[in-house]
Amino acid sequence: MKRPIRILAAGSTVAAMALIAAGCSADDGGDSDGTVTITFWGSYGNGGNSTQQDVLESTLIPAFEKANPGVQVEYLDVPYDDLLQKLTTSAAGDELPDLVRADLGWVPRFADLGVLVPLSQEMDDFQELADATYPGVLATNLWEGEYYGLPLDTNTRVLISNPAALEAAGLSAPPATFEELQAMAEALDGTDITAFADGGLGAWNLMPWIWSGGGDITDADLTTSTGYLDSAANVKTIQMLVDLYQAGQASSGLVGNEGAISTSEGLPGGNYATILDGPWMTGIWAGQFPDFAPVYSPVPAGDGGSISVVGGEDIVLTASSKHKEEAMDFIRFTQSEEFQLALVPTGQLTVIESLGDKQIELDPQLAVFTEQLATARNRLAIPNASEVDTILNTELVPAFEGAISVKEALENAAAKIDELLAS
Amino acid sequence: MTISSLQARAAADAVAPGPRPRTRRRRFPATPYLFLLPGFVLFAVTVVYPITQAVQMSLYDWRIIGGATSEFLGLANYARALGDDHFWLSFGNTVFYLIATIPPQIVLGLVVALLLHARSPIRPFLRVLYYLPVVTSWVVVSLLFRFLFADQGLINWTLGTTGVTGGDTSWLADRWSGMLAISALGVWKGVGWSMMIFLAALQGVPQSLMEAATVDGANRWQRFRAVTLPAIRAAMAFVTVMLVIGAFNVFISVYLMTGGGPAGRTDVLLTYMYRLAFGDLEFGYGSAIAVILTLVVLVLSLAQLRLFRDRDGVTP
Repeated sequence: MKRPIRILAAGSTVAAMALIAAGCSADDGGDSDGTVTITFWGSYGNGGNSTQQDVLESTLIPAFEKANPGVQVEYLDVPYDDLLQKLTTSAAGDELPDLVRADLGWVPRFADLGVLVPLSQEMDDFQELADATYPGVLATNLWEGEYYGLPLDTNTRVLISNPAALEAAGLSAPPATFEELQAMAEALDGTDITAFADGGLGAWNLMPWIWSGGGDITDADLTTSTGYLDSAANVKTIQMLVDLYQAGQASSGLVGNEGAISTSEGLPGGNYATILDGPWMTGIWAGQFPDFAPVYSPVPAGDGGSISVVGGEDIVLTASSKHKEEAMDFIRFTQSEEFQLALVPTGQLTVIESLGDKQIELDPQLAVFTEQLATARNRLAIPNASEVDTILNTELVPAFEGAISVKEALENAAAKIDELLAS
Repeated sequence: MTISSLQARAAADAVAPGPRPRTRRRRFPATPYLFLLPGFVLFAVTVVYPITQAVQMSLYDWRIIGGATSEFLGLANYARALGDDHFWLSFGNTVFYLIATIPPQIVLGLVVALLLHARSPIRPFLRVLYYLPVVTSWVVVSLLFRFLFADQGLINWTLGTTGVTGGDTSWLADRWSGMLAISALGVWKGVGWSMMIFLAALQGVPQSLMEAATVDGANRWQRFRAVTLPAIRAAMAFVTVMLVIGAFNVFISVYLMTGGGPAGRTDVLLTYMYRLAFGDLEFGYGSAIAVILTLVVLVLSLAQLRLFRDRDGVTP
């Protein structure tokens, strides 16, 4: 009895000391033979659907290492839901990797914290690389006059329709304008189909409507929201959504009902006629609803045209990196045709505008997304962008419930966003 | 009688120490502390240190990056909380959860414990059955309850087909119905735990008193009130205090069932605090809310312990 316990104790002591030693040894990523290791964090693993991670680890990273002898890339996959928290705590503990594949909304936040390198200062060829990307996607890297990253992959939301629902509404094509959407909703009145569904009122959800309606959320310099968010154009746009909702033609998921049928189930299930969503949905439905043939079309156009919202990820270099030159070489590699097109079949849209045609050749279903991206715009690039989502969700719900007018709700939200911009 | 004589004997022993060698007596006090040391070190590192850090952060506009200077704000974060409508809404929701979950957990837990106290061949099986929710992951059961209370979930289907309601309640779309759904999960998951504590306490109810009461002609209810309840008072105090602490710590179920929505109306203190700290990087303000929460729980726990202890003093 005693012996195993003593062995166990000794073993755990050794293990603990090894851990301490590992923690103490200053890991500068340089090996004795001169090999440099750069670390890269991201969430290509998508919580189990590892096709992207496989391409990265078995094709792209080896190709880079072959072209750059003496440099090794160590990729760590972090589930998306944990990545922001891990980056935050790692930034606090000065434990960040060299490179991060960051959600585009996080770049201003970490730039503001001072943990990122302004690539527009550090990279000689930055302008050349930047010019090749979509302007709306590049803009996600801008913070206080400098670019802190380069676009890595992108996506946008387009209108996705259920063909059976369109037929039920007597339409041969998806609604192309606000008016056609409203007409479709009237035609669907009395059926058990809801014209439009979404999962909230955050910027990701609302901005396609606001921009397409000809409005915006702040001025171009991000100094004020009052006078912009509560503009006549926005009142008209949001009123349209409120009218749809109150007529039972927009899902209650819009106002944050977690019990509503999700858009990914409700559209193929015939509960919803249209949703706004990204290119990843094709893959999700292919598995769960193999018979469903979604129809993709641009965001319905209002007075401002058809303008959607940019999503995706940027690659950023941390200020604590000890191998900035090698890391910047990897950043250059991510902007290459080889890297960009390798990920297209896995549902990642290229950020390089000139590769759009080749992308459509690889996957014809991406045509609408590629077209929409050319005019897609970025949400507010501020460190506390998440608070904008909270404000929009909180302040607009009373208007949807009819407790206050749309104008009043937008004024309340604008006042709160003003406070945020001033802080 | 027996107890007081035992106490007297113990007191006599204490004042009349046996003839022991002096050196042994001197060395003796260090031993228990040495045994306590590992636990205390662990406690200090994992509990005391983070608490002092949180108190420190709550006094600053805390910047998380090592090199950045944090501005000292004094009690401004606390003042902000007291004037923050959403803080009070979250506080109100937490209190709702407390009131909606604790009495049912105590009553149901006790009832089940009394039923399972009786000897029966299926008793171990039933005990496991009632305890199963306790050991099941919060994440799993939260998602399960979210589906149960969804617009087209089992609850609505059942209510609709039996004609109790139209079956079209959007449970998670409203503040109070959302909190009710969250509380239902809390009760379902917690009953097994209080049942276990009460079952253990029921083993200690003196059988002789029970028999004496029966001889005196006390019926079931009278026996329960006069014998069982006083005998399990300590367990009752423990369960209540732990449940109050647990209620203030409700997080995962809210986070997963409603996400605090719609429009933040089902936020509880911890979901609000989490969003402030990790969503908005307001670590100073988030810590202030954490400290307020700690103080409230501390005061409530002390008050409850005092309440239960005072009654003990009065009862002979």
